[in-house]
Amino acid sequence: MSKVLAILAALFCIHPVAAEIVVGSKVFTESVILGEIAVQLLTEQRIDARHQRELGGTTVLWSGLLRGDIDCYPEYTGTLRAEIFARVSVTTDQELSRALAQQRVWASQPLGFNNTYVLGMRRDVAQQRSIAKLSDLAAQPELRLGFSNEFIDRGDGWPGLKRAYRLPQTDVRGMAHDLAYRALAAQSIDVTDLYSTDAEIAYYDLIALEDDRAFFPSYEALFICRDDVSDEAKQALNRLAGSIDASTMAKMNARAKLDHVAEAQVAADFAQRTLRSTTQAQVDSRASRIVQRTLEHLAMVGISLAMAVLLAVPLGVLAYRAPRFGRVVLAVADVLQTIPALALLVFLIPWLGIGYAPAIVALFLYSLLPILRNTHAGLADIPRDLRESATALGLSRFAQLRFVELPLAARSVLAGIKTAAVINVGTATLGALIGAGGYGQPILTGIRLDDLGLILEGAVPAALLALVAQGAFSAIESRWVKAK
Amino acid sequence: MIAFENVTHEYEHAVAVRDVTLRIADRATTALIGPSGCGKSTLLKLIVGLVWPTQGRVRLGNDEITPANVEALRHRIGYVIQSGGLFPHLSARDNVTLAARHLQKPTTWIQQRVAELGELVQLPHELLTRFPGDLSGGQRQRVSLMRALMLDPDFLLLDEPLGALDPMVRHGLQDDLRALFARLGKCVVLVTHDLAEAAFFANRIVLMREGEVVQEGSFDDLRSHPADDFVREFLRAQRVLVPAAHE
Repeated sequence: MSKVLAILAALFCIHPVAAEIVVGSKVFTESVILGEIAVQLLTEQRIDARHQRELGGTTVLWSGLLRGDIDCYPEYTGTLRAEIFARVSVTTDQELSRALAQQRVWASQPLGFNNTYVLGMRRDVAQQRSIAKLSDLAAQPELRLGFSNEFIDRGDGWPGLKRAYRLPQTDVRGMAHDLAYRALAAQSIDVTDLYSTDAEIAYYDLIALEDDRAFFPSYEALFICRDDVSDEAKQALNRLAGSIDASTMAKMNARAKLDHVAEAQVAADFAQRTLRSTTQAQVDSRASRIVQRTLEHLAMVGISLAMAVLLAVPLGVLAYRAPRFGRVVLAVADVLQTIPALALLVFLIPWLGIGYAPAIVALFLYSLLPILRNTHAGLADIPRDLRESATALGLSRFAQLRFVELPLAARSVLAGIKTAAVINVGTATLGALIGAGGYGQPILTGIRLDDLGLILEGAVPAALLALVAQGAFSAIESRWVKAK
Repeated sequence: MIAFENVTHEYEHAVAVRDVTLRIADRATTALIGPSGCGKSTLLKLIVGLVWPTQGRVRLGNDEITPANVEALRHRIGYVIQSGGLFPHLSARDNVTLAARHLQKPTTWIQQRVAELGELVQLPHELLTRFPGDLSGGQRQRVSLMRALMLDPDFLLLDEPLGALDPMVRHGLQDDLRALFARLGKCVVLVTHDLAEAAFFANRIVLMREGEVVQEGSFDDLRSHPADDFVREFLRAQRVLVPAAHE
């Protein structure tokens, strides 16, 4: 008896494990580094935390946060004002914190840098012309300006800037952001617009001109979290308050993006140096990464395909038996197929959150049409005399289907499943954008870091998997589908 | 006995069979004959319930064929079509035994029946493992006949069963079939457009034109007393000598 009591006591002494904190990040390097820093700081405080990296955009992260799929992510005050609270006016900081509080979202102290627009010049050119501030530009009308196309049109871009500083320059062109750096370096333009923490600022030895009339809105970096995360977690994140200035952030971006140092390592180095923390980077080996991605990818494709077969084959049979119903079903499947994959994923997030569920549902929906269509076509193509022979034999409707019609349509049905599988393997790479992982993850990272090796690490296995799927279905076909 | 009582079958504004009243006797071979599109194949399909009368009724023995009883009635009917209608994904044996297996007949009964039928239609036993695509046209029709006879039906319906065969094979199979029909003593209905074939097989010939029965009788009846000019013309076209009409 006492033994039992002791065991019970032991059981009750175990505190319920605090829920893991999921930190999200956006698909650009700075966000990933900040997410990595947050996870390392939380882990150091013995708070269970995981990084859900490279989610596809502000909408995905914000709705994931509200739904509780993620608990925290790095954000910018300007983005909160201009995108998330675009329909309500939140000009002051108090209004912003009130708007966040209404959504039960907690905001950390600002991290210390403002990732806003700046105008940049080559350091040597700026020194030679003694330009340090934006107001210095007014006196030099011969400067050649090259801006990103977006910046040229935005109200808070060139038109507003020109008015605020009374800038006289007339040689102003639009160009792609990445090309602007090369144009600056080649001295075919003198000034361009940059983000203040771009890695390239240091790389090309540029200087950012001071916005001495405070024209650009502020994009203060901070963490936002669900209100219900623990106070310990909030405190851990607030250790970062004011600890990252723009040049520190730009250097970290440069290390990750230009020197190809893993974000986790960049984050750990920052935490050790600046916060005297003892965090550690965990960098997985390439092999274990690929295994992990393969499992994620197979799970997405396999589950969605199995569900689609279970629904689409019976639906195809029904469509063949009841042609009027069939036309409706096929039309609906057609429409589903035309929804762009990324749009469908984002539509699904409010209901299903981020991660596997929306990815699997989206892939399932995309698989329906090829299987449905081929099942229907395979049955409809059975020669009339064979169908009549089956009927004349006195087989029940079910037996006709089971022993004659489905076997005769099998080749077509299988071809439909094969098509769906191959499409799914490709489309599933988009799953990485909503946190489902898979081969899309290295592709996303590779595109972000301009790292061909990483892109191939996702693209090659995805192509191989598509070939394997194709081969497997061909083998099934020749093994089980007789008939000529 | 198969009875058509004022049967009309229309499809998509066309009339395939118009007000046909006809009795087809047991233990005899009846040939339905006439030019293409005269409705002779449709009469067979009406018996099997592949199409339904828009007016009138079809009786099989004492039973009127209805959607409710047609599945059971089909087990009393064997149906062979020109192409054979064999399922290409099943071996000859599986084609033959499909309905019996569906009805869960005992395996030993099925095996015995297949052996009997193989002998009856003179199909070498080893051909039963082949798929239809690997059989000759004549062999396919023998397998198709086995399939039709598997459940020992009272009625055997054949729609141009020899139409796709070359003349030599056709000739041989004609002899075999006539002997078979005589031996079986079933109610056999044969659709053909070939008068010589009809005369060779049938005790009774039903000549049709545009969905209606023009004349019904033995070959001699048709030849000696053609009902009208169409019959006379039809016989002449088939190189059958017809006595001149009494002017």
